[in-house]
Amino acid sequence: MLEIENLHVSVDGAEIIRGLSLRVPAGETHALMGPNGSGKSTLAYALSGRDGYEVTRGRAALAGVDLLALTPEERAASGLFLSFQYPVEIPGLSAIAFLKAALNAQRAARGEAPMPAPELLKLLRAKAEALKIDAEMLKRPLNVGFSGGEKKRFEALQMAVLEPRFAILDETDSGLDIDALRIVAENVNALRAPQRAMLVITHYQRLLDYIKPDRVHVLAAGRIVAEGGPELVHELEREGYDKYLRAA
Amino acid sequence: MSAALLPTRRVEAWKYSDLHAAVGDAPFALREGGHIIERLAGTTERREVRAGDHLVVAERIDGGGGVDARAADFAVGEGASLTRVVIQDGGEVQLSLARVRLAARAKLTQIVLAFGARLARVETQVDVDGEGAFVELNGLYLVAAGRHADLTSVIHHHAPAGVTRQLVKGVAAKGGRGVFQGKIVVDRAAQKTDARQHHHGMLLAAGAEIFAKPELMIYADDVQCAHGNTAGGIDERALFYMRSRGVTEAEARALLVEAFLAEALPESLGAELREDLMGRMRAWLREARS
Repeated sequence: MLEIENLHVSVDGAEIIRGLSLRVPAGETHALMGPNGSGKSTLAYALSGRDGYEVTRGRAALAGVDLLALTPEERAASGLFLSFQYPVEIPGLSAIAFLKAALNAQRAARGEAPMPAPELLKLLRAKAEALKIDAEMLKRPLNVGFSGGEKKRFEALQMAVLEPRFAILDETDSGLDIDALRIVAENVNALRAPQRAMLVITHYQRLLDYIKPDRVHVLAAGRIVAEGGPELVHELEREGYDKYLRAA
Repeated sequence: MSAALLPTRRVEAWKYSDLHAAVGDAPFALREGGHIIERLAGTTERREVRAGDHLVVAERIDGGGGVDARAADFAVGEGASLTRVVIQDGGEVQLSLARVRLAARAKLTQIVLAFGARLARVETQVDVDGEGAFVELNGLYLVAAGRHADLTSVIHHHAPAGVTRQLVKGVAAKGGRGVFQGKIVVDRAAQKTDARQHHHGMLLAAGAEIFAKPELMIYADDVQCAHGNTAGGIDERALFYMRSRGVTEAEARALLVEAFLAEALPESLGAELREDLMGRMRAWLREARS
């Protein structure tokens, strides 16, 4: 599904990702762990096509499609979704209007007709209810004045509505209390499917108690320095990242 | 009379709108005294909103060639309300002056939607004469290449406990020029005044121009006054966020600009009028994109 080979990414001329290779097969959920500054968010932004994240070498493909040749919106339409660590406030644009624009843009890119408004509203309400989001909040400008936890729930809502093929969850646990974490994790787990895959970026074990990864990759200084099964999470929790930092 | 009587940029109140340069040396039969727009208009329309009444006026300013100047005076009585909607679009030199006097507890809601002309100025002067009056004086400008829109206002609080809310927003395309000059004066007698003035301009491309001169002159000590003024480009983070969800760059820009502008439409206008004004702005944005 997602295949990254020898990826190098520079930001403002400084190389942050230095030869990263990673494969996440369809149907699997992988965790990407690593200390602050190791390049986790840089990888997420580079894969999404954010300006200023310059890929200098390597390749990244989703289901055989070269992501790096596409605009951010084309990457989204081909099934990539990034749950932001810091979701952006959109003054003046309601969550409903935002999701309508996003969903219909992706449908248009796939040659499908726009979703009729009543159907869309019904879909949004159902998905919001599952995430315990008050339907009234859908009318408010997206993320404006939302708490950290509310913003992360709305990221999960967008993911549930857009049904991406591949989702990157960038520190979805930050800002969430334990109840909200459980609800968001349940909704993410509900999206696990044989034709879908996910990369969960986090510092901590906590989120991975709820979203159980099939494999764990450790990122330090821009490279994958260790890989293993779910047991690696516990080792990291016990021993920290020190030995990987020294090795890197 | 000669055109030399028209203000140049050296006149402070016209520093961003060079009327003399725009009109040239054509002679005018100017009326004596008063505001230059009033003198050019020759006549001043006078309207009164009697105590307790409500008046809604819609003005469309879209004269053809030459100089089109108009002046109006509104006297709004105790507890009365005036809603004024001004749509300015096109023409050569378009000048509009409105003076509004508010008695006690009177209310003025104004929205100006200006698409500019070779030189367009929509000027409003409000005198808060009575206690507890309310002013919502909002404006929007959308200027394409070769267009100039100037929203100028003076809100003068002479009486206590008045409230002013002013939000002016605008966008300028390459080669377009937007101007906001807003002065709020709070006299010593106007204690307990609560005035807020905000102007936010968005430059849609390099080569767009926005000039702003916000001014607060406060002579009373027990007042609440706030103002803010910004001019910048589109929020790149918001743009990427929307694109990462699949919205095309052009559509994302249009939606963000629309959302930016919509905020200045007063709630009290009602859904139908707001939608009408929004529709005009959307049409402009579509054209600006193509």
